[in-house]
Amino acid sequence: MPSPAIIGQSLISGTFIGALYALLGLGLSLSWGMLRQINLAHFALAFLGAYLTYQLSGVGGMDPLLTLLLIAPAFFLLGVGMHWVFVRFAVGPLGSLLATFGLTVIIESVIQWIWTADFLKLESPYGSASLRVGIFYLPVAGLITLAAAAALCFGTWAVLRYTDLGRAMRAAAEDGPMAAAFGVNVNALSRLLSGFASACAGVAGVALALSYTLAPSQIYAWIGVIFAVVMIGGLGKPLGPLIAGLVIGVSEAVTMALTAPAWAPVVSFSLLILVLLARARNI
Amino acid sequence: MQRLGRLALSLAALAALGLAFGFRPAGADPTGDPVRIGGTLALTGPLAATAIVHKIVGEIYVDNLNHGKGLLGRPVEWVLKDDQSKPDLARTLYEQLITVDKVDLLMGPYATGDILAAMAVAQRYNKVLIHHTFGIPSMAKYEWQFPAWSLGSDPAKTFPNTLFDALAAAPHPPKTIAILASKFPSVYFMSQGAREVAKTRGLQEVLYLEYEFGTQDFGPIAARVKDANPDLLFVGAIGLEGNQILDALKKIDYVPHYHFYMYPAAGPMAKSPLAANALAASIFEQHPPFTDNPVAAAFAKEYNDRAAKAGLPYTLVETQAAVSFTAWQILEAAVTATNSLDDAKIGPWLKTHPVDTIQGKLHFDGPNNYGDDLTKVKQVQDGKWVTVWPKQWAPPGATLHGE
Amino acid sequence: MRLASPVWIAAAGAAFAALAFVRLPAFYDSFLYLLALWIVLATSWNILSGYSGYISFGHGAFYGAGMYATATLAGAHGVPFLLSLPLAGLAAAALGAAVGAVAFRLRRLRGELFALLTLAVTFVLATIVLNTPLDGGQGVYLNSVTLPNLTPSPSASFYLLMALAAVVTVLLAWWVRASKLGLGLFAIHDDEDAAEVLGVPTFRYKLAAFALGCALAGVAGGIHALFISYITVGETFSILVPLSVVLMSVLGGSRHWLGPAIGAVFITALLYAFTAGDYPVLGRAAVGLILIPVILFLPEGVLGRLGRRRAALRPAEERAAGPHPARASGSDSGSPICAIRGLAKSFSGLRALDGVDLDLRRGEILALVGPNGSGKSTLINLISGHYRMDAGSVLFDGREIAGLDAHRIAHSGIARTYQIPRPFAHMSVLENVALPARFGHSALGSADAEREAWHWLDFAGLAAKANALPGELTLHERKFLELARALVSRPSLIFLDEVLSGLAPAEIEQAVATIRRIRELGATIVFVEHVMHAVMQVADRIAVLNHGQLIAEGDPREVMRRPEVVAAYLGRADA
Repeated sequence: MPSPAIIGQSLISGTFIGALYALLGLGLSLSWGMLRQINLAHFALAFLGAYLTYQLSGVGGMDPLLTLLLIAPAFFLLGVGMHWVFVRFAVGPLGSLLATFGLTVIIESVIQWIWTADFLKLESPYGSASLRVGIFYLPVAGLITLAAAAALCFGTWAVLRYTDLGRAMRAAAEDGPMAAAFGVNVNALSRLLSGFASACAGVAGVALALSYTLAPSQIYAWIGVIFAVVMIGGLGKPLGPLIAGLVIGVSEAVTMALTAPAWAPVVSFSLLILVLLARARNI
Repeated sequence: MQRLGRLALSLAALAALGLAFGFRPAGADPTGDPVRIGGTLALTGPLAATAIVHKIVGEIYVDNLNHGKGLLGRPVEWVLKDDQSKPDLARTLYEQLITVDKVDLLMGPYATGDILAAMAVAQRYNKVLIHHTFGIPSMAKYEWQFPAWSLGSDPAKTFPNTLFDALAAAPHPPKTIAILASKFPSVYFMSQGAREVAKTRGLQEVLYLEYEFGTQDFGPIAARVKDANPDLLFVGAIGLEGNQILDALKKIDYVPHYHFYMYPAAGPMAKSPLAANALAASIFEQHPPFTDNPVAAAFAKEYNDRAAKAGLPYTLVETQAAVSFTAWQILEAAVTATNSLDDAKIGPWLKTHPVDTIQGKLHFDGPNNYGDDLTKVKQVQDGKWVTVWPKQWAPPGATLHGE
Repeated sequence: MRLASPVWIAAAGAAFAALAFVRLPAFYDSFLYLLALWIVLATSWNILSGYSGYISFGHGAFYGAGMYATATLAGAHGVPFLLSLPLAGLAAAALGAAVGAVAFRLRRLRGELFALLTLAVTFVLATIVLNTPLDGGQGVYLNSVTLPNLTPSPSASFYLLMALAAVVTVLLAWWVRASKLGLGLFAIHDDEDAAEVLGVPTFRYKLAAFALGCALAGVAGGIHALFISYITVGETFSILVPLSVVLMSVLGGSRHWLGPAIGAVFITALLYAFTAGDYPVLGRAAVGLILIPVILFLPEGVLGRLGRRRAALRPAEERAAGPHPARASGSDSGSPICAIRGLAKSFSGLRALDGVDLDLRRGEILALVGPNGSGKSTLINLISGHYRMDAGSVLFDGREIAGLDAHRIAHSGIARTYQIPRPFAHMSVLENVALPARFGHSALGSADAEREAWHWLDFAGLAAKANALPGELTLHERKFLELARALVSRPSLIFLDEVLSGLAPAEIEQAVATIRRIRELGATIVFVEHVMHAVMQVADRIAVLNHGQLIAEGDPREVMRRPEVVAAYLGRADA
């Protein structure tokens, strides 16, 4: 039987990777669920954000967290622009998936063009520091990621639930024409939402840069598990990615702590299969 | 803006090159039809991380040839294609190079899958294939394939012995070992080998874990390593996995007594403040005695410049660049010695003649055309990779550091 | 729908395959091989996903299953390579059928749920292969397996094999498209529930299409395993395989049998166009830059507009409308045709129907009335098999139909309309009506079904709109289309769900007349209606539901005067 230290530390580790899953999944889930756009380029955008963080912080000397002040608004505008194109061409879910696949390839090339395909790692004061609590260690980068994920997910949830803006957004997502008939500016709200989803990718990018070594090909490494998180959490539900991310992160970590780590991916995807079957049965 | 900046940089680079070569001692300028050498590299796609290293080295070598005597007095043209990290595309491109472009000679790619694909084509057309970083020597069955990476024919046995020799000579030789094996083909079998060799040498295995290539969260694995607290942590890792494991260990404040990473991303690991004393496999490092070889020294200088201009994060010559350079050295040596571009002459010559390279003297007379395992052990010391074993390749005064 | 003769495909395919014998430089063989590989993968994917709209992201799993099947059989167990290929196809088909057997049973597992399910299967399979002796993490090197010399050179032999696979795949895709199976799949694409109710055996069709597509992908995987000769998990089960396949099919036009092949050629050639080593990164960016506008400007693909609609001409010689089965059987009107006992259904705890007993008499017009939410539509949905009943029995013509699949109930001679018309949006009005004639109770051949459809279009007054798409019809016309679809299979029992709602008074008169004419043909009619004056006008008998229970039945005028019925209508303050 593994020691409590292993189990506890694995739970912590799983929680933090789960938070990163949530951060990557939130924007994807919102635009998928509420705008019916499957934005595959979300992953490429997150890595673009990570590389920008590397550039501004690792080369430019900014505090990595302050880079958000530049990255988030820039990405917001990018998301607004993307949404404008999707609306202009009346792109459906599958079309958006394929078009953003093209965008992914372009962003990947841009990253390779500017930063080369070689591995980059941002060395920052947050990257490797840990707080010690008893026999356990809480990595600072993980805490930042968790805080950001929780703040964004709960914040989005609260806005959607308790504000007029949020109610209007949900109404627009539910039935656009009906909402428009009640005087809701559906287009403006959709642009806002798309911009926000894209800004989330920027935030996820900063979190990635704090903890991970970057390479353009890593863009594709996250797609599977994040799709699982988004689907398990429920499309368009802001708390979904957080809950599903933590569940997957923790269950994978526990698998790795207790059994053969190489089998860990089976856990998250079996979970996805079970959730999909259960959901299809219950509707 | 970025584009313009790039353009300006490129122009500057060109100008600098012109200057550099202007001062080169001029031989007889090569004349006549160019000798065409065809090859692919995984310039885009998942294996692209080190592509630019191989590309820069090839360009340096070809430029040097063309500013010197060329090959057989003729200029050299490198017909380079991008196999996009896909073996099926690599195969097709080599067929294009041979049957349509009709190149005179082949230069192999890097990465095991692409090399195997190219090797099969070369075999069908009886072309000599000198390849860069081929990870699994037992699979290299073609008689005229020649490895530039001198792993020896059974690295899974020979290299762990080299490593354990190095550690046996260190201040506190390890008695226990933990092995982490990435399920990536060209490192997985090395981990298996290390496991067996460790057993025969009396190292007690306290932990053995396999993980999927592509694992993102190494926290639980790190926790198990810490719990096992081995004297030596052997990580059969490739690329950025080494860094990920180091990060995970650091996050739980664990510094392994000795820690070894098979083929790490050289740059990020050397620069990582966590990587102090990390060990890794090497074939060449940019320090004496390697750079006592004037060819190596000149190459290193040229490479450092071009790598910096290309925006590479790590500009020193290490395994990838050195192996790439070696491949070209082998090709030039064989062509020059046989005074021929005929594969039927080059192939047999290489099988029987050693070649002087910046890795040392390479033989191709063993099983699968492999010679000795020349792999060395290097260590991160003060933010730099330093060869620490075998002793004769260590810079003066350098030794293997413990904890 | 006559699209192109299979002879033409076979001839063109044979011509391409014959290139294997002209001793081209090996490069051309291999390049053509790559084109053929992707033609097989994209076209095989399209058979289920393009035709029926069940987008699968698991094609990598089935292709990979074929690869590892050949690798294991031919590599480790010495099975001859060519023999391993059908086995590889079989392995992939078995995997696909297993996934399908679970997924297709769940009616709501469509769209993104199905896509994600198949993607998850890919990753689970990859992990299993990686951690078992099938691969183990080492990769599998097939250097001991030899390719039989089918042609003078190995590259030409590979090409010949894959070209044959491509020809077979395209032929099958054409055949499916032109067959009843394809028609059913296209109906599933537009409205699966309606298709099932009209008699399409949706589960079997989806399963068959999926298994067929998977088998073809498996064979391609088997051939490709030897082509690359060294296979690894990372490359085989990459997310890029399904993404490329979807991209190719959509670009080429996924509703056309040839679309995916065109997309495959385009994408493969595009990627190949940027293999020069000078500016590889720019080349890759160019691929993305080309893809985006193509997707934006051609949302239905290159062949999207092609072959969609061919104006159907009315056949010169029309078969006289045959006698109606109910009348033909000569059975005495008034005898029970359908006996409903103890019918019950709850939706998440709420009782929608609570033990309803009701007899339907042959040849009658029964009006089913009751306040909103009283269970009228639920009753239709249960008997037509749209929902599964919790309890109860339905004897139709003496046979128990409770629990049967909806398409079997349709076969037995029961038809229904939907309150909100659910036509197949991508099919013409004529095709919409011809479909149930082929799949429903009468199960006609294609030409007979079309003749029959013309007859019922006349009956419903829609003959002039035969070539229109349903979206171009008015609501009134769509209601009559719904009616024609129900009648064309010549059912003996018809459920009409609020055919009159939303119609103008003049249209209601017309509809009432039509209902009478249907009865004159001998069918039994149950209709759910709110327009009470029409009910009183046309119904022989009336049954009143309230809160899921039958509270009254009998003569219309008498029943509507009963106090409990009046109370049910007036007392619905609960709304």
